[in-house]
Amino acid sequence: QPLSPGLAGERLCSTEEATSGSGTYTRHGFIYSSLAGCLERRSEDSGLPVVSVVRDSESQLLPNVGAVVTCKVCSINSRFAKVHILYVGSTPLKSTFRGTIRREDIRATEKDKVEVYKSFRPSDIVLAKVISLGDAQSNYLLSTAENELGVVVARSEAGVQMVPISWCEMQCPRTHTKEFRKVARVQPQFLQT
Amino acid sequence: AAPAGPLLCGPGLRRSEAGLLVTKCGLLRHRPGGGGAFWVDSQQKRYVPAKGDHVIGIVTAKAGDVFKLDVGGSDAASLSYLAFEGATKRNRPNVQVGDLIYGQLLVANKDMEPEMVCIDSSGKSSGMGIIGPDGFLFKVSLGLIRKLLAPKCEIIQELSQLYPFELVLGMNGRIWVKAKTVQQTLIIVNILEASEYMTAEQRKQAFAKVSG
Repeated sequence: QPLSPGLAGERLCSTEEATSGSGTYTRHGFIYSSLAGCLERRSEDSGLPVVSVVRDSESQLLPNVGAVVTCKVCSINSRFAKVHILYVGSTPLKSTFRGTIRREDIRATEKDKVEVYKSFRPSDIVLAKVISLGDAQSNYLLSTAENELGVVVARSEAGVQMVPISWCEMQCPRTHTKEFRKVARVQPQFLQT
Repeated sequence: AAPAGPLLCGPGLRRSEAGLLVTKCGLLRHRPGGGGAFWVDSQQKRYVPAKGDHVIGIVTAKAGDVFKLDVGGSDAASLSYLAFEGATKRNRPNVQVGDLIYGQLLVANKDMEPEMVCIDSSGKSSGMGIIGPDGFLFKVSLGLIRKLLAPKCEIIQELSQLYPFELVLGMNGRIWVKAKTVQQTLIIVNILEASEYMTAEQRKQAFAKVSG
């Protein structure tokens, strides 16, 4: 399909000639592009051709509501934990997004007895689910309130990777000290030995 | 006789696969009671916030419902205005920027900012709260504070023979003193600061010179 460069906000055509695809939106009966990129026109067998605007050869995968993401904890607070979202599903992101896990979204049961310090620490790798995209200023809101979500990789105070021993504790193999985390019960098919 | 019970590894020591590693320089001490305990007695002036410590904080800012206090650590500690005895949403404590507060650290670890409270677990203040007007605040090493807080400390007993005074000791190395006159306060401050390096005889000579 021929690709021609276009500007964001450019009016492409009317809705009678084509339907809007990704990177476009309809307003007042016309199709406008919402990205600066290459115009792509694809003809569908049933109905009108689909017009879409593509920015890079591969489009950035954005986390949707309900997607399971892999993130790294960067700072904790008594009310929430701030994370960097690294992977959406199994595809790595080119630039990290920022997310927040609130104290009441860490666990499904006994939400008021949760202590953020006993669930996450900075530099833990956490599996979480997106519950809200947030406003313009705020970050993605994430939740770990399921058995399969939570901390997967954590380092102890001695710097060694810890081994999970229960849903709320991990143990360091070198110093044998136990630390509290909200541990994820990872499905066996995802574990690599 | 073999010790009964687990061996306690105290401050300044860290356990590793090769055995115990020393992480601070100082004197190695041993207590044979129970299973035995080893720790390192070191000189330190910089305070690292630890949970349960009673500290003296200086109010630096008021942010909404929370006061920010300087306790000498890397982060400012936060103190909620409801954490005073008899404080409600209507009845706020009268705390200004620059006031001194004696409180207990509720949360203190290396990943979060420390949190202070001025009530204990039953809701009583038990001596904590805003430290009254006047007086003198100064900083000493942490080892001297631990020595002064030991039961039946000789320095405090000898000082109390001199003049009556009020004393607050914070585990973050801060001491607040108030006596009847400014001159008496300064004498007590100088004796406390110097008692870190004085022997018992030198201290008795200093007391004799002051009271005589």
